[in-house]
Amino acid sequence: MTTFWQRYYRARPWALRALVVAVLALLVLWPFIIDFYSYNARYYVGDVVGFAMITAILTISLNLCMGYGGLLSLMHTGLQLAGGYAVAAMAVRLGLSPWWGLVVAIVVGAVLAAATLLVSLRATYLYFALITLAANLLIMEVGRSSEWLGSDIGISNIPLPSVFGRDLSRASLADVSIFYWIVLGTLVLVWILQRNLVRSGVGRAAMAVRESPETAAALGIAPVRTKALLFAIAGGVAGLAGALYAMQKGFINPAVGALDNGLIFFVGLLIGGIATLEGPILGVAAVAAIDFVIRDYGPYRVLILGAVLLLTLLLVPRGIVGSWRGSRWGRPVLDDSGEAVRSSAVPDVVPRLEAAPGTVALAGIGLRKYFGGVKAVDGVDLEVLAGTVHGIIGPNGSGKSTTVSCLTGFLRLDGGRVEVFSRPAPTSAQAISRAGVTRVFQVPHLFEQVSVLDNVLTGMRSRERASWVESVLRLPRHRSEDRTHREEALELLAFAGLASRAQWPADALSHGQKRLLEVVRAVATRPRVLILDEPATGLTQDELAGLRALVTALRERGLAVVLIEHNVEFVMGLCERITVLDSGRVIAEGTPAEVRDDPAVLEAYLGAEPEGAS
Amino acid sequence: MDPQIVVDALYYGGAYALIALGMTVIYQPTRIVNFAQGEAFVLGAAVGFQVVGLWQGSWAVAILATLGAAALLGVVMERLIMVPVRRSGSKYAWLVATLAVALILESVFALTYPEGYLSPAALIPGDLVIGSVMIAWQKILVIVAAVVIMLAYDQFLRRTPYGRAVRATSFASGTALLMGIPVKRVILLSFVIGSVVTSLAGLLAAPVFYISAAGGLLFTIKGFIAAVIGGVGSPSGALLGGLIVGTLDVLVPHVFGGSNGNFYVFGALVLILVLFPRGLVGRAVAASR
Repeated sequence: MTTFWQRYYRARPWALRALVVAVLALLVLWPFIIDFYSYNARYYVGDVVGFAMITAILTISLNLCMGYGGLLSLMHTGLQLAGGYAVAAMAVRLGLSPWWGLVVAIVVGAVLAAATLLVSLRATYLYFALITLAANLLIMEVGRSSEWLGSDIGISNIPLPSVFGRDLSRASLADVSIFYWIVLGTLVLVWILQRNLVRSGVGRAAMAVRESPETAAALGIAPVRTKALLFAIAGGVAGLAGALYAMQKGFINPAVGALDNGLIFFVGLLIGGIATLEGPILGVAAVAAIDFVIRDYGPYRVLILGAVLLLTLLLVPRGIVGSWRGSRWGRPVLDDSGEAVRSSAVPDVVPRLEAAPGTVALAGIGLRKYFGGVKAVDGVDLEVLAGTVHGIIGPNGSGKSTTVSCLTGFLRLDGGRVEVFSRPAPTSAQAISRAGVTRVFQVPHLFEQVSVLDNVLTGMRSRERASWVESVLRLPRHRSEDRTHREEALELLAFAGLASRAQWPADALSHGQKRLLEVVRAVATRPRVLILDEPATGLTQDELAGLRALVTALRERGLAVVLIEHNVEFVMGLCERITVLDSGRVIAEGTPAEVRDDPAVLEAYLGAEPEGAS
Repeated sequence: MDPQIVVDALYYGGAYALIALGMTVIYQPTRIVNFAQGEAFVLGAAVGFQVVGLWQGSWAVAILATLGAAALLGVVMERLIMVPVRRSGSKYAWLVATLAVALILESVFALTYPEGYLSPAALIPGDLVIGSVMIAWQKILVIVAAVVIMLAYDQFLRRTPYGRAVRATSFASGTALLMGIPVKRVILLSFVIGSVVTSLAGLLAAPVFYISAAGGLLFTIKGFIAAVIGGVGSPSGALLGGLIVGTLDVLVPHVFGGSNGNFYVFGALVLILVLFPRGLVGRAVAASR
């Protein structure tokens, strides 16, 4: 028997799709509809709905960098201004087609954004926000002090673009409608750009960098390049919106860049739902509607707008999309039917190394790391052979995790060197990961808000060959790669017994499943050396068996696995060789049996044997 | 160099420093940058204008009225900002909440004082004359007030139990709560202190500053820049940041000539931030929750 809710959830996707089609149809037909009802149709087409759609384009840009990239940008009004100047300069000053202005506006926006990001590399969060604010003021100042750009007065009489040889005029409803349709088409394209970008490897990389630059680097994702790409794309979109703005209004002046004008973008984004695909459009629609209703209240308008804002924040604290998803009507349907069954076949995505026995996969030679006077790692030598599991044990504070950070480039060495398959290791963490050495952190570093599957796919980012343009356009190479990676990820999850949880958000997993998922994500980078920092902590017997099966499978494929662990039984049962650290030095090295009986090890763990005792 | 410029830089700097200090006081326990902070500055000027300018009252009354009004504003801001922020899960809810409060206050001031500039008569009229140099007493008053308030707040943080509670909350609010510190009350108090500090600056600066009733956001931006340059969360940094912003504001247009002045000011800002990405006196700033 099916309940109401089951039927509802089955029908919901279709209903939503029908709704989208209906709204799109309404928007397309809007000029005709409003012309029937109003004498002032040009105003409602261009200045009300068309203008709101331009605002939505800019808000999508803000959503890309703030929502998906975690980059708090206060320069979006400036980018809008720059885009407007670009089109005004091309069309009015140089007499070229406004279409060229559109192209130049995109380039100018992207270049300004990328430049701002690149000068503020070391700045984070508020400092980044302040640099973008300064950049915003600089852009306004350039306009103000340039005669060519019209100083304080700006440039007016910006023409609408011509379409098929027809010059559009602002006086004619038909022409205004044509421009309206151009804007509508651009909005749809920009939305698709946003969706494709966010769902591609670029989007996952940006998410990874936003959540934790450290984890991103461990997965071979370069934080700076990722941020620069995302911010430049967002800048291009903002420039485009600015060009449309200038064409719609017919003028551009420095005041357009003032931060106050940017309020509507932030507000629309937050009301709609930040870091959601639909949020910017719903939010801007809501704000535009409110603004339209109160347009006649003159001086009280700002007051009402502010009050409405606060009220919205109280009533829909997570935005329209967030509240919808949190409600019974809108919550996502998760498949929780399948039991956690482990598949026994080792998936092909697990790399196969054909190294000769005895090949040194990872070597640390004379590693030294001092923190002030503390010698955390003081001359550690380590050789990990391909096709073996190598344990590192030692009392708390003996320098195990610091050694790992030294080996993987997360800490700058004070002495010694690292070699990967007898070649000097690169210096940056993401380059070492790309060279085939991947680590799993001691404390969980999952991307909790995204799905289990997306976590694994993020691990495959460094293997993606399709460029972001191919991803956005969904060209064949991107599609085939995407399909293969999804299949591989599901195989890996099945092997770890997590296949039935693939669509769940990662934070819904149990502790043990999270640890397993992290190992799976690391394996997805196809490492040659995998370093696991205390993976067994807090795992149940069953989960331990799963972890053991995974590690064994990796060893059989010829990988080198480094295991840092407190669970002695687990280590002794799995490892070929064990290195024992104490106070930042190697005190013993050998097979589990040798290490177990080593007097120095017994002393480090149990204390010195009292004299005279036997 | 003209000594007048040095004095101007110092009193601009003092006023910006107190706005930045107010922001810092609120930032420490809440991790919120209050974009409505400039409105507290305008409030001080408005009270001074109302009491001294329109009612011809005494400055003593104006100071008392400012203290009361600013404390009330602090409570109102805390309610209007913190309640939505606590309810919302978004990382950026603070931005919208503080901007919304700024919008509301800005239009309230603009509707109440449609004349525009709020400039009452000076508390101490006349000038200090040293040789050929004349310095308005009011400007000196602003500088002195900035230093005194800064030192007083620093002592409050170090010496009093409440100061320790504020520092603990700003370091780790969850742990502070577990240790029995009434975190919500500490936050309320911070809003009150932050509002009072900035309002006093607005009151004292009003006779010599051009403070427009609708100009709160401009002062917010100046204070924000000063706070971030100094390193958000440190009182001495706020003073230093305020002085730098004040100096740039006054000095750069003077050196490079009028119209291009701002260009260099913002260029210098970018340069400072690129060289010191954590502020001059700062520690790393964590993202808000």
